[in-house]
Amino acid sequence: MLQFLLKRLSYGISVIFGVIVIVFFVFHALPGDPAKMVAGPNASTEDIHAIRQDMNLDKSLPHQLFIYFNNLSPISVHEHSVENAKKYEYYDLFTISNYALVVKAPYFGRSYGKHGKLVSTYLIDHLSGTLWLAFSAMFFASFFGVLFGIIAALKQGSTIDTFLVSLSVLGISVPSFVSASVISMVFGYYLSQYTGLNSVGSLWETDSVMGEQLVLKNIILPALTLGIRPLAILTQLTRNAMLDVLSRDFIRTAKAKGLRYRTVIFKHALKNALNPIITSGSTWLASLLAGAFFVEYVFNWKGLGYITIEAVNKLDLPVVMGATVIIAAFFILITIIVDIIYALIDPRVVLK
Amino acid sequence: MALAEANKVLLEVNNLSITFHTEDESNTALNNLNFKIRRGETIGVVGESGSGKTISVLALLRLIQSSSCKVSGKAFFDSQKSGLIDLLSLSESEMNQYRGNEIAIIFQDPMASLNPVYTCGDQVTEVILRHKKVSRKQANKEALALFDKVRLPRPKQIFKSYPHQLSGGQQQRVMIAVAIACKPSLIIADEPTTALDVTVQATVLDIFRELRDVEDTAIIFITHDLGVVAEIADKVIVMRKGEVEEEGTTASIFSMPQAAYTKGLLACRPRLNVKLKVLPVIDDFIQSSSTDGKIKQGGQARFKSVGQAIMLNYQSDTELRAHHSKLFAQKPLLEIRNLKTHYKERKSFFDRTQTFVKAVDDVSFNVYPGEILGLVGESGCGKTTLGRSILRLIEPQSGEVIFEGKDIMAMNPKQLRLMRRDMQIIFQDPHSSLNPRKTIGEAIMEPMRIHELYESEQARKQHAVELLETVNMSGAHFYRYPHEFSGGQRQRICIARTLALKPKFVICDESVSALDVSVQAQVLNLLNDLKTRYNLTYIFISHDLAVIRFIADRVLVMYQGKIIEEGLCEDIYDKPKEDYTKALMKAVPSGEVDTIRQRMIAKKLQQKS
Repeated sequence: MLQFLLKRLSYGISVIFGVIVIVFFVFHALPGDPAKMVAGPNASTEDIHAIRQDMNLDKSLPHQLFIYFNNLSPISVHEHSVENAKKYEYYDLFTISNYALVVKAPYFGRSYGKHGKLVSTYLIDHLSGTLWLAFSAMFFASFFGVLFGIIAALKQGSTIDTFLVSLSVLGISVPSFVSASVISMVFGYYLSQYTGLNSVGSLWETDSVMGEQLVLKNIILPALTLGIRPLAILTQLTRNAMLDVLSRDFIRTAKAKGLRYRTVIFKHALKNALNPIITSGSTWLASLLAGAFFVEYVFNWKGLGYITIEAVNKLDLPVVMGATVIIAAFFILITIIVDIIYALIDPRVVLK
Repeated sequence: MALAEANKVLLEVNNLSITFHTEDESNTALNNLNFKIRRGETIGVVGESGSGKTISVLALLRLIQSSSCKVSGKAFFDSQKSGLIDLLSLSESEMNQYRGNEIAIIFQDPMASLNPVYTCGDQVTEVILRHKKVSRKQANKEALALFDKVRLPRPKQIFKSYPHQLSGGQQQRVMIAVAIACKPSLIIADEPTTALDVTVQATVLDIFRELRDVEDTAIIFITHDLGVVAEIADKVIVMRKGEVEEEGTTASIFSMPQAAYTKGLLACRPRLNVKLKVLPVIDDFIQSSSTDGKIKQGGQARFKSVGQAIMLNYQSDTELRAHHSKLFAQKPLLEIRNLKTHYKERKSFFDRTQTFVKAVDDVSFNVYPGEILGLVGESGCGKTTLGRSILRLIEPQSGEVIFEGKDIMAMNPKQLRLMRRDMQIIFQDPHSSLNPRKTIGEAIMEPMRIHELYESEQARKQHAVELLETVNMSGAHFYRYPHEFSGGQRQRICIARTLALKPKFVICDESVSALDVSVQAQVLNLLNDLKTRYNLTYIFISHDLAVIRFIADRVLVMYQGKIIEEGLCEDIYDKPKEDYTKALMKAVPSGEVDTIRQRMIAKKLQQKS
């Protein structure tokens, strides 16, 4: 187990490393000059030059990349100075002349826009929205997806089976920006007097009277929208997996033992059918954590997807990189957890 | 025990019929089955695949899933709880009171029949907790006692193990523990020993005998193998195509079989004591009319009795000796010198000491041209690994394999590929060794294409059709897919594919173990016939000693990776030297009338005392 975790975490770190390198170079291939954007339209050439120097943009690309990695790494080497100590909040291990080997939290830099806000705080502020949205969407999708899948499998060939399967085909085929617009309009606008929901809104709303406050009901519509496709896919996967498992010999054994119907279905069949459900569900969760831009955009939900796209538009490199690292880390974390869940469910799976 | 109690009818089946209805036809799987079984009695139900034996017991337990299936008839069961009931008219929830409790079933494939994600212990306690009012602790205790009763080694450890961690024999014993957990009065055993080694089969049969004698359990024992039935059953029902061909006491069926079909079944089983030239097959005894598939007896059938089939076929000592002296005077075709194949086994991350499983441990032997060399042993003895190591399908650690003077171990991949033309293998499971998405023709032509045999596709196709005809199939099968064929036909297709490259040497790895005895006889005859026709040499790997006796000239007995005994079949079968070989021989069900009589007498004596 320990060996497994160490191995997978080291793989994970190399994945993050690779992702950073690729995103970094792709970003620099984009047209536009961040320094000019930060300086504004009326800035002088000297100002722009000064800003560029300040942002390290005058250095060579590999050098910039090296600085980024050094900033990100929890163990790094920095010039030993009061400003740096304040900037990175590090603990120095030992110093050689002006340089110090330090331990610190990963430093993502400061945003080019947003008044130079720290990227880490900026991301964390918007991360909670995405986490809430992704987890509630997936909770909704997996609960009903598995439920519908089981019902369809048990009633194979019946009207309800055909209905659920057709519905899931519809759910898979509708693009999310269409369903987002329709759901937002119907439930958040036309029917809002019955539903009491808003067509747009974030988890945290700033009110002129109450200040910032949690508005949980705003999550309902975006989560529903986001959950539709995973729900549809999980319905079909569960149905197929259950049909496969239900035809196996050990189900016949379970029936021959005289076990109750629900024991046969939920204890003996479902646990064996979980594998594809978990594979697909976890992949969906990971991609939802990466942000669902269209849905967040339509509902004006300020999540990770929303701010990442915004940052790309404004050439805000530190935010883009930071978001990339966090999303990659989520993917890695989820795959590790999923592998552990596989092993917990199926004793034949060996972690190595 | 009171005699009246012992003679009480436990289950009476009247006019049980099963029909499958599809959109435009109905198919009768079972036609008017009638039988009675008393407490403590064992009935053997014998027949080939598709004879309706399994479907009939599934119908009794109401376990047929298909909605297109219609079951009619009555099955009166004398329940301890509620007196006489008709199993076929109970509701599903009422039925659940009896299933696993008063009637239990054991299936053929224990690996597939146990749930892979629960421990063996859980699968036993579950049924106890369902039917008995006991605490979990008590149920655990009972399960452990059951494991002890079915002679599982280290019950406590097995209690916590998952099915995949056990051997096939152990899995089947767990299944038996599940079945007997609630002391059922009737156990249905559906081919419970077919997938097992002979030695394990012997233990499992022993457990059944004990159940019958000690617990007075009635057993319906389904099998395709009359030899196994002789070991355990009081009465036998012989079935074919959903009809009962013959029924009677075991002794009478074995000593005076009436139906031609029964005679065929009895004769087609390879024997331990004599070597036959050709195995009799069922078609030698019966003539089924082409119009309705019913059997017409006698007339032009080749054999009329089992004895006749054997006497006309017997290979005499002089014939054998002449054959052998010619065979072993030649230069060996294949020489194996000190072959070793070890599997690495690492214990844990911290324990870096490497231990090896010595699957093949320093094995040397010769194979002569035109010879069939038998390789016997239980599962896990390394015989399959040995076969694959010779072809370098598994890389051996060390040793030499010299085929026609060339060392296979020293060959580079290209030479090896060329050499594979001459050395082929036929696997055990014909279901998984044919690609389901390829037509039969494609499957046979593929190796020819790879090795660029014949100049045109047309010639290859023609050859493939010839091969199909060689293995008694027809050219019309060329465009069909594997799922359209039975196990025996598929194995013949595999053989045709093997022959496509005109090999000199073939390894048959348990090639007939998955087949019914009647089909097995046909395939064995075919292999024997092909040997003479194409001048082939075989290594024939099997756990079935009777099969080896029929087909092989010489035999190697393998145990824990080593060859412990080798010699001519006649010598080893008549005078085995090693204890292990003796134990193997003893475990084979003989199917002799004398043993059956002795068993019956012993049972009667036991009942009286």
